[in-house]
Amino acid sequence: MLKLTSVHTSYDHIKALKGIDIEVDKGEIACLIGSNGAGKTTTLLTISGILKPDSGEITFEGEPLKNISPHNIVNKGICQVPEGRRVFPRLTVLENIEMGAFGAKGKNFHRNLEKIFLLFPILKERKNQMGGTLSGGEQQMLAIGRALMANPKLLLLDEPSLGLAPIMVSKIFKTIKEINEEGVTILLVEQNAKAALRLSHCGYVLENGTIKLHGSGEELLHNEDVKKAYLGE
Amino acid sequence: MLLQQLINGLTLGGVYAIIAIGYTMVYGILELINFAHGEIYMLGAYLAIIFLGLFTAMGLTATSLPLALILTAILTIIFCSAYGFTMEKVAYKPLRNAPRLSPLISAIGVSIFLQNYVMLTQGATDKVFPQRFGEAGFQFMNVNVTYLQAMIILVSGLLMFFLHLFIHKTRMGKAMRATAQDKTMAALVGINVDSIISVTFIIGAGLAAVAGIMVASYYGLVNYFIGYIAGIKAFTAAVLGGIGNIPGAMLGGIILGLVESTGAAYISSEYKDAYAFIILIVILLIKPSGILGKTTEEKV
Repeated sequence: MLKLTSVHTSYDHIKALKGIDIEVDKGEIACLIGSNGAGKTTTLLTISGILKPDSGEITFEGEPLKNISPHNIVNKGICQVPEGRRVFPRLTVLENIEMGAFGAKGKNFHRNLEKIFLLFPILKERKNQMGGTLSGGEQQMLAIGRALMANPKLLLLDEPSLGLAPIMVSKIFKTIKEINEEGVTILLVEQNAKAALRLSHCGYVLENGTIKLHGSGEELLHNEDVKKAYLGE
Repeated sequence: MLLQQLINGLTLGGVYAIIAIGYTMVYGILELINFAHGEIYMLGAYLAIIFLGLFTAMGLTATSLPLALILTAILTIIFCSAYGFTMEKVAYKPLRNAPRLSPLISAIGVSIFLQNYVMLTQGATDKVFPQRFGEAGFQFMNVNVTYLQAMIILVSGLLMFFLHLFIHKTRMGKAMRATAQDKTMAALVGINVDSIISVTFIIGAGLAAVAGIMVASYYGLVNYFIGYIAGIKAFTAAVLGGIGNIPGAMLGGIILGLVESTGAAYISSEYKDAYAFIILIVILLIKPSGILGKTTEEKV
């Protein structure tokens, strides 16, 4: 479904991605793990078109994404919940959700809205509150809900568990599984490697801008190098 | 006496407010002080004179003055919006990722260019608005209000009201607010940031056009330099209210108009233009974020 071939991305003169290959199949959960500065967020921003790759190719459903602007990539069905959630702080919860549906132009609006309120009842309670007044966990739910409004085929999630209380982390992971079971393909970036690998069908280990390892979630969980470097065993 | 000055101040303040909105909207989205915004207002005044002169020559003004005025307003708004749109595409868009000083210098360049363009094509002498509205008016609580003043206050009030509705109730307006808060995230939810920026310039220029028409008809005289001083005053109004904040620009404009007219009446009219600068200095010293300025709240 999504295929990155030898993608290089840099910030001015600093090379952040040095030729990475990733393939995500339809219907699966893929995860990208790695330490700080490995290039995980850069990878997602490159897929979404916010950063332009220096070389390499990204295709989605067989179609190259080169020279397609970020809002049109969203319209093709790739949505991102970026690092730090980035809820619009001075828009109400409901307006934030409406903005998620901006590209979809009202298609399935009410059905999606109901689905999101069912998934995250707290958002319905707070729908007239400003986005910036929500707690971290609520903002994460809002950010995920907002992305779901666009009817995504592929959802990119950047560190959804970062800075959340443990109970919230397990709720978010449970939700990711539910979203995937509804047919949305997921590419998950996580520091919480153990939880992410358990959830994923396949995983990639990113180190210094290159893919170090890849395999099924199960394989990586039991890989000695991964255990040492990322699972703290 | 005081009430009379309040009416004069509201008239002036309404005009400042709708120019200031253009400044503040552009700042809200691009963090750019568009110093050429005042020139759009000046172009509006000139275009109004040209179009109304044309309709007068065609005899339309004699048969139906309201129709001639409405057509003049519509054409002026369309032309000014086109100027605003083009200005952004030519002078600011290529500098979107440049250091912040570059678009600012570009703005000053556009401002100088437009002033000289109008001076060359229209001459350096004052132009006269083809229609005099005179002192006809009505009495309101023992104060003379001319029809023109009432019209200016009404039109600026209505424009601000509709702009507020647009920003808060429409899909496009909400997308504008979203873009102002976080451009990258706006793109990630599927908002075309470039077209939002264009719409912002078009609306700002349209409002400045209306201000230009109103001032040209109020004072009856314009020259190619009026955009400069009006631009700085509207900028002051925007800073006073809190730059980037639309209700702030409205409030700032009205306060500035009231201060100017009461200051001119009670202190000295010689210093009419100085009050704006005094306010600008004081607000920058005491509360640089402005009256309604947003306190930056960040959640990590």
